Formats: sequence, structure tokens, C-alpha cells
Amino acid sequence: MTQTPAETGTQSVPEKSHQRSRTVLGELKEKNFWFVRLRWLVPPGIVAGIGVAKLAGGDFETIPLLWVAVFILIYNVILYPVSCRLRDESYDQTKYINRFTYCQIAFDYIAMFLLIHFTGGAASPLIFFFIFHIIFASIFLPTLSAYGFAALAAAGTILIVIAEYLGWIPHHPLIFQGRTIDIAEQPFYVMVELGFFTASLFIAVFSITAVININKRILDMGKLSETVASLDIKLKVLFKLDALFTMIQAIGSTRSLDQVLNIATNELAPIMDVCCTSVKLLSEDGKFLRYAAAHGLREESFKDKVVEVAKIPLHRRIIDGESFVTGKVTPREWFQFGGYSDATDIESVLFVPLTLEDRVIGILGAYCTRPERFSSDDVDFLRLAAGLVAIAIENARAYEEIKNLTEERSRFMLRVAHSLRAPLTAMLNILEVVLGGYRGELNDVQKDYLNRVNRRGWTMASLIDELMSLAESKSEKLRLKLASIDLKTLAKRVQRTFQDEAAKRDLSFTVTIPENLPEIQGDEEMIEQMIENLVSNAIKYTYINGQVDVTFSESNEKTILIKVKDTGIGISKSDMDRLFTEFFRAENARSIEEVGTGLGLAIVKEIVDKHGGRISVASEEGEGTVFTVHLPRAQGEKNSNE
Amino acid sequence: MATKNEILVVDDDRDILDSLRVILEGNGYEVRTAKNSREALTALQEKKPDLMLLDIMMATETEGFNLAYELQKKPEYENLPIVILTSFLGKVREEGPEKFQHILGEQWPAKWLFEKPVDTKKLLAKIEGILSKE
Repeated sequence: MTQTPAETGTQSVPEKSHQRSRTVLGELKEKNFWFVRLRWLVPPGIVAGIGVAKLAGGDFETIPLLWVAVFILIYNVILYPVSCRLRDESYDQTKYINRFTYCQIAFDYIAMFLLIHFTGGAASPLIFFFIFHIIFASIFLPTLSAYGFAALAAAGTILIVIAEYLGWIPHHPLIFQGRTIDIAEQPFYVMVELGFFTASLFIAVFSITAVININKRILDMGKLSETVASLDIKLKVLFKLDALFTMIQAIGSTRSLDQVLNIATNELAPIMDVCCTSVKLLSEDGKFLRYAAAHGLREESFKDKVVEVAKIPLHRRIIDGESFVTGKVTPREWFQFGGYSDATDIESVLFVPLTLEDRVIGILGAYCTRPERFSSDDVDFLRLAAGLVAIAIENARAYEEIKNLTEERSRFMLRVAHSLRAPLTAMLNILEVVLGGYRGELNDVQKDYLNRVNRRGWTMASLIDELMSLAESKSEKLRLKLASIDLKTLAKRVQRTFQDEAAKRDLSFTVTIPENLPEIQGDEEMIEQMIENLVSNAIKYTYINGQVDVTFSESNEKTILIKVKDTGIGISKSDMDRLFTEFFRAENARSIEEVGTGLGLAIVKEIVDKHGGRISVASEEGEGTVFTVHLPRAQGEKNSNE
Repeated sequence: MATKNEILVVDDDRDILDSLRVILEGNGYEVRTAKNSREALTALQEKKPDLMLLDIMMATETEGFNLAYELQKKPEYENLPIVILTSFLGKVREEGPEKFQHILGEQWPAKWLFEKPVDTKKLLAKIEGILSKE
């Protein structure tokens, strides 16, 4: 049932071209073998030719011709086993076949020259047999070799004729019906004959090699189209990788597990060019697989579906790390895949494990209505995608865990704050009834005591408020309401809010902001609360006639600085570390203002952090303090997703 | 003041109801109280008040919102000013008002919101402001 990728896969282009060249080579060998077999007919042909020529009235020396027939027989006896061995697979080199061809032609040439010599030299009708050898050489040998053989045939024949003419070798005249056909007596005619013979050979080589070269070019074009096809495949792979990258980017934009799974299944279907995809996630104990998301499958067929791993061996194998691929799915297999019956038109299925380092967290599936859809490349690609999806799933899970913990903490704080508010409200309202004289007048001492209760009650209310606000700002659910903040307007509001209070304490209070300060991105309400907390602290802890200065400035292109400087009580070195800790109040601060929540600076820190900024503090006890807030101008994109 | 303005206070906390009644009556208003939205509806049917102070979290987290939304749908109460008093505001802020839209509808059912504990002086000033515009 499990098939190796090679069985289902289509062949790669190099494989195809290799196979094609093997076919061509095979044909070459076959032709060579055919020529060797054909040669067996030559010796009997010579004997028959002698007989026919004699009967027709020809007269020539028979014995040398029979010797030539024997010679041909002998060298063919030698060539035959070689050609048989060449047919064998192990000799699949063109080099050997060419060598064999040269060898055959060389022997044939010797035989040809002998036959021509013994049948009248220049007058021999056999010289035109060279044409066959030239055709043979032109087809099977490189063009240059074919011309070489043509030249050799022409030169050899001319040499024999000259040698006979000059008497270097004996001339064997051809006698037909009692008359000697001896063109050796006509040198001019012989020259013309040999000229035409030579020309015929070269024209034959030229024509045949030209045709062969055109054929070769057609073959080259075939190769070119194969190269283009392979480039096309490479482009497709690139496109797939690009789409995969886009998918991972999309997944990166979300932290919700459901969204990660939906994006993965929806995006993978078109990338893989399949109709359906699914993700099954393994339970923590590894016993169950739950359909977490699917694309293309009917919702009721997978939604909330849980499969027991032990019951289906196929799942067990995938979870152990194997891939599963089939090109012709059977109904029995459908049952194993989880048993949904609606997808009966699906023919090909591919499952790969969602692997994380050495751990499998689920199964990624692709389904297609075409049979034999998935190749080994598809298996590799889906495994790569599965690796990336697994990482995204794990990230989303980790993020959700952290988010849940943070939310749990915030919810708890909110519940506490809410439960504290209800009785406090009743208490303060009742107190108002008494203090307001609605139920009779009180004496001054009673009023004084109840006023103290009232004041402490309201302090408690503001403590709850600050707790709430801290819980809110820590809550991941709270989105920053990002907008452009006009710091000039904000600075004016800060000036207005605190000028009376500063005047009451005889403090010099200034807010400085340069004309062309750029806007920043942030939650205006929060930024204002942050500045207010700092300024209100500065005013509260600065002696009469002291000074509080708020300065806005631009430190570089990316950062805005907000400085709150006072000449107040300062902060001791030992208190510096815990300054931003919730509920912490410095000793000298307590001595000045008895009541305080110790939450103001914790809130400041929280807001600055949320905006991707940082806060620093410099202080000398008894001299004063400078808080410097560094806010990035454009931090919004990152934080808005939190 | 020729006729006294009447205020209906809806809250499940008896102490709050009681003290608010004293304070409001002491400032010249006629006060009726209701401990839940059912009682509030009965009181409203008896006689339409000039203003309603409404708590949100009573038997359920959104009982007050539900009542306000129901009243909004009835033309006779369309113009009834509702001031919401709640310790619940933080929760709405935290979760985002859109979470309550299925209850509240697109519009908030009340224009005025006070977070508990309420400074009664500010509340009295707000009530006076609303009623003087009527």
C-alpha cells in the first residue's frame, strides 16, 4: 500500500534524455550488427557474380576474386563476435561503436580495392559500390570522417589506375564477349571517369551529412525544448517556494492557533494544486488525533472529529515519521483516513507528519481528485511545508499559553478590584448621608473624625482605580488606541492641569516644547496619564519655592524625549532599584505624604513599555530628580498587534 | 420648584439604594427604588420618572444594560434620561464595548456613565444639569 516515491513519480528530465540517448545508441548498434550480417551475403554474392558474368560472356581471372571472397569471409568471421559483444549493455559507449565502424570500412576498402584491381581497374563496374560505403560512413561517422573515407576511396582507386597504367602492378583487363574492355588505352576518358567518380563520392557525403545534420538539429531542438521544460519545472518550484514563503509570512502576522491553521490549510491547497488539505493535531498524551482545520472538506465530515491513533495503524506509522502517498485510494483506506464518506471522488492522498525537531505534533494531509497525483517532489515539498507549519503551530501555542496566564492574572486583579468597589461605594454613600447632615447635624469633633474616614475611603477608591488601571495596562487584551499625538496640545493640557496646584505650593512650573516637534504614534490617553503621574509626583515631592520643569525634545530621528525635572526630595540610591515596583513607596516620600498608593510609577513604566520606549531616572537625595522618557516615534505597528 | 422631579434608582445593593434615596430626597427629588430590572419595569409602568439611575451588574453581569436596551426599543421611554452607575465600567473598557454589542446594540443605551464609588456632589450636579435641559 505504501509506495516508494519512484513508483508513483514521473521521470525527471535528465533521466528521460539519458534514456533517449540510450535508445539512439541501441539503434546504432543494431545497424552495425545488420551490416555485419549483410556481409555474410557478400562472398556468395561474389561467387554468384562470377558465375553470372561468365555465363554472360565475361572473361576474367576467377581465382583472385575467390580469394577476395575468402578474405571477406575471414574478416567477417572476426568482426561478427565483436559486433555481438557490442550489442551487450556494458559497451554502451559511442566511442567503441565508432571504432568498430572504422574497422569495418577499412577492411571493406581493402576488399573493394582488390576487387576493382582484379576486375579491370579503371574499367571495373565495381567502383560504384564505394557509394554504399560512403553512405554508410556518412550516416554513422562524423562528417569529417565521411569526407576522409570519400577521399580515401577516390585516392585509392586513382592510385590503382595510375599504378596499373605505369606498370607498377600488373593490369588485369576485363574481357567481355571476346572483346577487351580496356579504357587504360584512353587516359583522357579515364581521367574524366575518375573525376566524376570522385565528385559523386563527395556529393554523396555532402548530401547525406547535410540531411543527417538537419536531423541532428531537430534532435538538438528536442533537447532545447527539454531544457526549457526543465527550466519550467524549476520555475514552478520557485513559484511554489515563493507561495510557501508568502504563506509563512501570513502565518507570522497572527498568533492565534486557529488562524495559523486556517491560513496553512487554505494557502497550501492552491500551492500544492490540490482540492483539499487537512491538519490533524495529536493530543498531549499522543493517543488521539483531532481534526484541527481543513480546506475543501465538508465541515461536518471533520469538525470536532477525534480519531484514536491506536485503532488506525496508518496513523501510527505517520506519527512515527513516515510519509504516506497513494495514487488510487480504496474505500478501505478511506475508512483508515478517518472515515469521512463524502470525499469519494478523491483518488490521490498524501499525508506527512508535522514534525518538530524529533517530536511529531500532528499530520498534514493533501487530497486530489486526479489519480497518481503526487510525485516524490510533492512529498518532499509537503514535508518542507509541514516543518514550517509545525513551527508556526508551536509558536502560536506558546503565545496562547503566555497570553492565557497574563489574562488570568489581569482578570484576577479586576475581580478583586470589582469586589472591593461594591462595599466601598455603599460605605461612602452612607457616610455622605451622615456627613451631609441628611440625618441631623453633627458636632465638629464627630465631623472631623468622619471626614478622616471619608478621606481614607476615597484614597482606597483611588488605590482600586490604580490597581484596575495597572491590571488593564498589563492585560494583553487591551489594545493601544494608536493615533497620532500632537504633543503641543498635550503639553498645553499638562500646563493647564498643574499650574494651579504648582502656584498653590509656590513652585515655578514650566512646560517647554519646541515649535517643530514631530507627532508621535501612541495611545494619547495613556501617554497623558504617564506624564501626569510624573508631574504630579514632582509637584508633590518638591519643597515650597522649588522648581518643576517639563521639557519635550527630539533626540534623533527616531526618538522623542520627555524630561520631568524637579528640585524636590530626590530618591536615595537604595530605593532606586525598586522605584518602578508596584506598591513601593520610598521612605522620604512617606514622610511628606502619608497617603499614597505606590502604583503611580509602576503605571508609568507599564505605559512606556507598552509604547516600546524606556524610562531612565537620575536623582540626588535632597537635590532633585530627573525622569527621562524615551518614546520611539513610530513603534505603532508592532504594539498594535499585541 | 413647582413640581418635584422624580428619580427612579435601580440597584441590587440595599445600602446604596437607601443612602442614595436620602441624599436625593435631601436635595429635593422624589425618589422611588427598585432592586432589580423586573421591579424597575413595574415601577416604570406605574409612572414614568424624569430620570433613572441604573446599576449594571445585578443578578447577571449585564442586567442593567439589558433593561436599558429594552427601554430604548419602547417609544414611550425613548426620551427617558438614564444615568448608569457601575463598578463594571473597567470591565467594559477592558473587554471593549464591541463585546457587549449583542446586548447593547450599536449604540450605548445611556449617555451618562458614573464609575462607583460615585462622588455624590458630582452626581447631583450632573442630575441637575440633565433635568434643567429637559
